[in-house]
Amino acid sequence: MFEYLLRRLAGTIPVLLAVSLFVFAFVHLLPGDPARMVAGQDASFEQVENVRRELALDQPLWAQYGRYLNQMAHFQLGRSIKTHEPVAAMIGQRFMPTLWLTVISMVWAVILGVGLGVLSGVRRGRWEDRAAAVGAILGISFPSFWLGLLLIDLFSVRLGWLPTGGYGGWAHFVMPAFTLGSAVAAVMARFTRSAYVEVAAEDYVRTARSKGVPERGVIWTHTLRNALIPVITLTGLQFGFLLGGAIVVETVFAWPGLGRLLIDSVSFRDYPVIQAEILLFALEFVLINLIVDLLYGLVNPEIRLK
Amino acid sequence: MTRRLMPRLLLAAALGAGLQSGMTVAAHAADLTVAVSDNVIGLDPQDLNDNLSQAAARLTHEGLFRLDRDMKLVPGLAETFEANAAATEFVFHLRHGVSFPDGTPFDASVVKFSFDRGGNPANNLKRQSLFVMIDHTDVVDAYTVKVTLKYPFGAFPADLAHPGAMIVNPKLVAQWGKDFTRHATGTGPYELVSWEADTLKLKKNTHFRIAGLPKIDTLTYRSVAENGTRLAMLQAGEAQFIFPVPPEMIKLTEKNPKLALFDKPSLLSLFVDLNNAKKPFSDIRVRTALNLAVDKAAYRKVIWSGYADEQFSPMAPGIDGYVKLAPWGHDVAKAKALLAEAGYPNGFEATITCTPATISKRTAEFLQQQMAAIGVKLNVEVLEAGVLTAKLYTNPAPETATIQMLVTGWSTSTGDADWGVRPFLWGKGFPPVLNNFSYYKNPVVDEAIEAGLSTVDAAKRAAAYKIVQEQAWKDAPLIFLGQSHNLAAYAVGLKGASIRGDGQFNLDDDATLN
Repeated sequence: MFEYLLRRLAGTIPVLLAVSLFVFAFVHLLPGDPARMVAGQDASFEQVENVRRELALDQPLWAQYGRYLNQMAHFQLGRSIKTHEPVAAMIGQRFMPTLWLTVISMVWAVILGVGLGVLSGVRRGRWEDRAAAVGAILGISFPSFWLGLLLIDLFSVRLGWLPTGGYGGWAHFVMPAFTLGSAVAAVMARFTRSAYVEVAAEDYVRTARSKGVPERGVIWTHTLRNALIPVITLTGLQFGFLLGGAIVVETVFAWPGLGRLLIDSVSFRDYPVIQAEILLFALEFVLINLIVDLLYGLVNPEIRLK
Repeated sequence: MTRRLMPRLLLAAALGAGLQSGMTVAAHAADLTVAVSDNVIGLDPQDLNDNLSQAAARLTHEGLFRLDRDMKLVPGLAETFEANAAATEFVFHLRHGVSFPDGTPFDASVVKFSFDRGGNPANNLKRQSLFVMIDHTDVVDAYTVKVTLKYPFGAFPADLAHPGAMIVNPKLVAQWGKDFTRHATGTGPYELVSWEADTLKLKKNTHFRIAGLPKIDTLTYRSVAENGTRLAMLQAGEAQFIFPVPPEMIKLTEKNPKLALFDKPSLLSLFVDLNNAKKPFSDIRVRTALNLAVDKAAYRKVIWSGYADEQFSPMAPGIDGYVKLAPWGHDVAKAKALLAEAGYPNGFEATITCTPATISKRTAEFLQQQMAAIGVKLNVEVLEAGVLTAKLYTNPAPETATIQMLVTGWSTSTGDADWGVRPFLWGKGFPPVLNNFSYYKNPVVDEAIEAGLSTVDAAKRAAAYKIVQEQAWKDAPLIFLGQSHNLAAYAVGLKGASIRGDGQFNLDDDATLN
């Protein structure tokens, strides 16, 4: 087990190296000139060239990549081209708001989504299934910016119960977490239902039932346990995506998260920030995949970690 | 609204000034929150070029001179000044007894430090251009500074009123080095408390040079990208001033008696660049036809909900030297005739480029529809800002430029006519040197622009810029569209907050919030 973990963690290094090269190539191939963006429209040609020299953007690409790798080897992310702020500090300020929002949204969305999915699976074709389907379709098809603005209008402007946005105490989490989680819950519900229905049609479920295993045991042990494997995979993926920052929800609720930072950095061609963020997302996905693999073994001991 | 608002603001300012001496400390703290559309980039005044950050830096810093809410030059840290006749030597007499919030005294050595720092090419600060004319700065005595220029520059006091020339605290510069821009606080009415992610917190500078001011205790500057959310913050009382407010949302603020609308003309001229170096726009008849084909009144109504003005010159009114010329008007029949005369009886096809910003995109679509009336078929191309910037500035020659028509505009950051016309009308200002994306070149205009630049004589300058405006208006290197307004909304309890013509948030020193 320990050896397995070690091997998996060591395996992240080549992945991150490959990602760093890919991202570096990608951001530098994007059309756009950060030196001009930094210097601004008022700047003279000489000023723009000065900025370019200062940022070492006049160096050949391989030299820039070398510099970047050297920085990384020393655990330094450099400074933002746009604000001169250390990239680590910029990401640090936005990581916790993003993480908390992701965790809170995911917790309620997964509990509700999986619960509804199982309920629909067990009671498929009945009114509970239909009601859950309607709820899920609503959850999936409500655009989150619209849902968010409606919530703000109702709970902040008309009722004055909740703050319109920003990062702060629990009250600040209610609307963003609801908006962000509703689409996840809907997807989880539909996915769990179909996974459940698929497993329920397996021979071994029929065998269990014919052997006289009580219905409760059929549902929990034979069906759900096996249906949970793809559900865990999906949960891991969703978690990873949300950790990358929910751009729409962050924008509507003025949430200081990683998604908006990435968008701003891309539009400003703030290379060090883009590179660091994408690398962080890659790292997060690697870790989440590892956790997902460990969870497989927990849910179904038949799956051995090798 | 504009007409009613100004007297009210003036009255508020007058009341504020009158009551100042007899006022006692307010019972409850006045906490002002301003919600803006983007993040502050930095606070080092000498290293900023975006309006939002400059406006924030102006709350914490002051220059020797400053521009007030109407962009009129008023004294700041300098009380008086003298200049020699040649306008090459300026002596500034500084205010006594001013200090930074950390106790560092403000004196002549601080001014010298600031000017030397800003002008030193090694520092590579974005506002270096404001100091290039300075040869050297001397400390005459503790409160007298003498600045010797390399060449005559009559507009030097106006130059020093630019936010980029505000005085920085030498102690903080030494203490923070590269991180100075995150910690800069000057002698302004407010001082920095904290700045994290999208929230900048300031508080009253108790050392401010005017006793009893400011009257607002804390000021929070928040970046809220979504227009609807900013408006909701204002409605919910979480913010007391929001900027900008898109024209289509104005109606929502008008219904609420607790909210007021700020609406004043900006210095921004709106236009479409046409590539004058290439066919079909190299023909003045074509350019004239396009100008005549646009229903400017409909443009103001459709795109700006009426919050824009008719244009009478390539330069905005409110800039010194502005000349009001005859408007272009709307004449489809004449436009068609001109096109036929130019050899395009059935019109032509062209591409108009815009950014994904709502106003820019809608302008392109509006023009697409307008031009169809004279047989000109426009294809709309939406380019993200980074891609557009690269396309515009990395092109080597007018003939190879790939942008045919570009939805854009220009606003001067100095309030001076030179910067109001030179960047986009000067024949030597083709990109990447400046922003003449039309590749417009007329020797008459070029000569006048250069004449205006080389003299300090106000009458001579006015004459030069009159020639520029008249000639460029006639040549129609651009499609002239109109002058935009600055739109903001605020809680009625807030007095003394505004948006200046250059688009910067402005808080009067004696602003109040109830």
